[in-house]
Amino acid sequence: MKKHIAFIFSALFLFAQSANAEVDAAGAENFVKNTTQEGIVEIINSNASQAERDARFEKLFNSALDVKFIGQFVLGRNWRTASAEQREKFIDVYRKLNVKTWSKRFDEFKGKEFIFKGTSPSSSDNQIFVNSVVPMENAQPASVVWRVKEKDGKFKIVDIIIENVSLAITARNEYSAFIKKSPDGLNGLIADLEKKIAQE
Amino acid sequence: MFKHLIACVAVFLSISFPAFSQEDENWLETYNRNMFGFNMTVDKYIMKPVAKAYRSVTTKDIRNRITSALDNTEEPVTALNYLLQLKPKKNLNSIGRFLINTTLGLGGMFDVASGWGLKKEPTGFDETLAEYCVPDGPFFMAPFFGPFTVRSATGYIADGFSNPIYWAAINDKNYSAKISYSYAAVKAINSRERSLDLLDDLEKNSVDFYSTVRSAYLQNRQKMNQCGSDNVPSYDFDFDDEDY
Repeated sequence: MKKHIAFIFSALFLFAQSANAEVDAAGAENFVKNTTQEGIVEIINSNASQAERDARFEKLFNSALDVKFIGQFVLGRNWRTASAEQREKFIDVYRKLNVKTWSKRFDEFKGKEFIFKGTSPSSSDNQIFVNSVVPMENAQPASVVWRVKEKDGKFKIVDIIIENVSLAITARNEYSAFIKKSPDGLNGLIADLEKKIAQE
Repeated sequence: MFKHLIACVAVFLSISFPAFSQEDENWLETYNRNMFGFNMTVDKYIMKPVAKAYRSVTTKDIRNRITSALDNTEEPVTALNYLLQLKPKKNLNSIGRFLINTTLGLGGMFDVASGWGLKKEPTGFDETLAEYCVPDGPFFMAPFFGPFTVRSATGYIADGFSNPIYWAAINDKNYSAKISYSYAAVKAINSRERSLDLLDDLEKNSVDFYSTVRSAYLQNRQKMNQCGSDNVPSYDFDFDDEDY
C-alpha cells in the first residue's frame, strides 16, 4: 500500500515537474532580451519624433505583454463580479494608462542596460522567471525579474518584478483598496484611471 | 548577551503581534492613512522644496560624492552587523571598504574599494534580526520618517546608535547637537533628492498612493524575511487563469 502511495506521489511530482519544464527557458530569455533590445534600439536611442516613438512603444508593449491576463489578476475578485462591459472598459483603460506611464519611464532608461542572469522556475503552469540586473550609478545593481508565460509556443510578459516588488501585486493591492473605499466601486476606479490618462 | 537580546526581541514581537497579516487592522489603517496624509503635507511644503533646491544648487557629481561619503559613515554599522550575523568574510569586506574609502577615497567621497573588488553590500540591525528569524511585526507610518515595520524601526534606531557619527557627537560636548542634527538633515535631504523622480512618478500614476507605498515597502522586505524557507521567491505567487 505504502509503495503504491509513494508511486502515485512520485508520478504526480514528475508530472508537475514536466508541466513546468515545458516552458522553453532559453526561448523565454531570448524573448525578453529581444524585447528590451528592440525597445532600446528602436525607441530610446532612436532619432524619431516623440509621437513616432510613442507609437512604437505602444506596439511593442501590446505585442510583448499579455495585458488582459494581467488586468484580470489585478482586479482579483472584482473581476468575477464585473459585467462584460466593465471588464472590457477596465482592460482598455488599464492598457492605455500603462502604455502612457511606461513610455515615459522607458525614456529615463537611456544609457542603462539589462544584464541577463538566466531563468528560475515558477510554481504556475507554463510560466518562468527571466532574471536580469540593471547597473545603477552610486548604488547596488537593481534586480529586474520578468515573469513570462508561454502559450502555443508564444511568449508574453505577465509581470515585472523590480527589487522584489511585483507590479501586478502592487496594482492589485492599490486597486482593491480603491474599490473598497470608492462609493462607485469598479466604475469609480475606471473613471479615476481615465482621469490619469487624460492628465499631462 | 547578544543571543539573549535577539531572543527577547523575538519573543516580544511574536507575543505582541501574533496575527500579523498583509491586511492592516482597521484602527491601524485609519491611523496609518492619517499619518501618511500628515507626512505628505510635510513633504509637500518642506522636504520636497528643500530637496529640489538642493538639486538646483548642486551638480550630479557633487551629489554622488555626498551620497558616497554618507554611505561610508554607515560602513561600520554594516561591519558590526555582519559580525552579529556570523558572516566573517562580509565583515572583513566591509572593514576593508571603510579603511580604504576613508583614507584613499578622501573621507568616503570616492568608492575606491569597489574598484579593487570590495563591493558595497550594506546591511543593518533589521537584517540581523531577520537572520535570527525575528518576525517583522505590523506595518506603521511614523511621523516625519515614513513607512516602517516594528522590526525595521528597531533596526533603524539600533543602526543610529551604532553609527560612528553618533559616537563622535557624544564625545564632543560643545558640538554634540550640531553634529547630530546636521548629519541627520544632510542625510534626509540627500535621500529625498534621490527619490524625487521615483516618488513623483508613483504618486502621479497611483489611485491610492498609501496602498502603493505600503504594498511596495512590504514586498521589498520579503526577500530578507524568508527565514528557514527554501528560498522560493516571494513574488512566485499563483498566477493562473482560473484563480479569478
